[in-house]
Amino acid sequence: MAMNMRNWTLSLILTSVVTTLMANLIGNKVSITESIPGVLSLSAIAFVGISLGRLIPLKIPPIVYVVMTGMIVASPISPIAQPIIDATAKISFMAPITIVGTLAGIGLDFKSFISQSWKMVIVAILVFTGTFLIQATFAEVFLNVTNTFE
Amino acid sequence: MESTAHPQQSLWGNLKDNYRLYLAAIIIVIIAEYIGMKTFHLGSALIVIYPMLFAIVIGVLLGKDILRFFTKKEAKKASSLVLVVITPFMAKVGVLAGANLPELVNVGPALAFQEIGHIGTILFALPVALLLGIKREAIGATSSTCRDKDYGLICHLYGSDSPEARGALSIYIIGFLIGTVYIGFLASFVASFNFFHPLALAMACGIGSGVMMAAASGTLATIYPEYADQIVMLAGASDMLSAIVGIYFTLFISLPLTKKLYYFLEPKLSGGFPSFLKRHKVKGGA
Repeated sequence: MAMNMRNWTLSLILTSVVTTLMANLIGNKVSITESIPGVLSLSAIAFVGISLGRLIPLKIPPIVYVVMTGMIVASPISPIAQPIIDATAKISFMAPITIVGTLAGIGLDFKSFISQSWKMVIVAILVFTGTFLIQATFAEVFLNVTNTFE
Repeated sequence: MESTAHPQQSLWGNLKDNYRLYLAAIIIVIIAEYIGMKTFHLGSALIVIYPMLFAIVIGVLLGKDILRFFTKKEAKKASSLVLVVITPFMAKVGVLAGANLPELVNVGPALAFQEIGHIGTILFALPVALLLGIKREAIGATSSTCRDKDYGLICHLYGSDSPEARGALSIYIIGFLIGTVYIGFLASFVASFNFFHPLALAMACGIGSGVMMAAASGTLATIYPEYADQIVMLAGASDMLSAIVGIYFTLFISLPLTKKLYYFLEPKLSGGFPSFLKRHKVKGGA
């Protein structure tokens, strides 16, 4: 059972909201007051997306609802598109990510990581290399064939 | 992997249980941001290191296995919070997509098409795994990028004690630490050849892991500032598509393909690299 939305919100405020403001100030030189509307917009979109994910009984990762919500809110059909786009444009896209790395690092099971054999490390690197290169190749071919870049 | 915290935990309980984690996480972010983004040249490739990577390293060092600043319980909580804190970044990706909707529609077919590129996980990794003497573990390991949902699928199909599931779990664990660092380097390195269009590279960032997608697309956006917004938008859209269709792709396409290739290649490559060389020397005759 995942945590309830009240705890979800508290956790989000104490982690992402605070640190994104900090990261945007230190790394991106945008003052906290200037960042607040953007950070709150992103958090609100995240909140709506996650809530939708819990209400809609489809087996789709909750993250997808968040992206969808953001997309709809900022699309031409949305009456609040422009203010949302302007506010969130002030937030560098890597600013909300530093806290993700932090928590993922703290949560990493390092013991089981070092117990992995070097052979599997090689296989892992090839798995990621393969998917990146082949996806890039397919995209490149398709975009060239259809002249999307023109 | 969901949090096992009590569903009815009060706000106060949440604070009391996790205040150390919240405070320490804020301090780690501040330190990582002060270290800041580092870029350097390695040959012709521009390597970009984001504060995120410093944050991962500090987090791992303080974690329950090395310096033991955090307890096991806090580490578990941190893992479950990853899914919470990644949502504002995903919201940002969504906003970029909405703001550039006509363009997204324009490249939509390309996005759908390049999803097939996920079979690339098998291409290099499976033959090498067999040469290294890895057996059925290789099926689980190379049929996908082994993110949460893929690992779940393999466990469901083969059982969590199976060699296949062990292989997938290995890639899941290694992928998190090495994958996140490596994918940024790989994006820089591939970009340095100027062979692919920046937007094709952006689509390739959809690996099925938000953190890896962020690392790869962030690097590309720094290398190609004139495409920065489009890169993040396309990478995000590609990742979202992977999240939606990924598990079906693994189930119906890449896993059957991996199994076919495994049973075809295994007799030829098994016994590892030395015996493969020996056989070829004998056959080659030269």
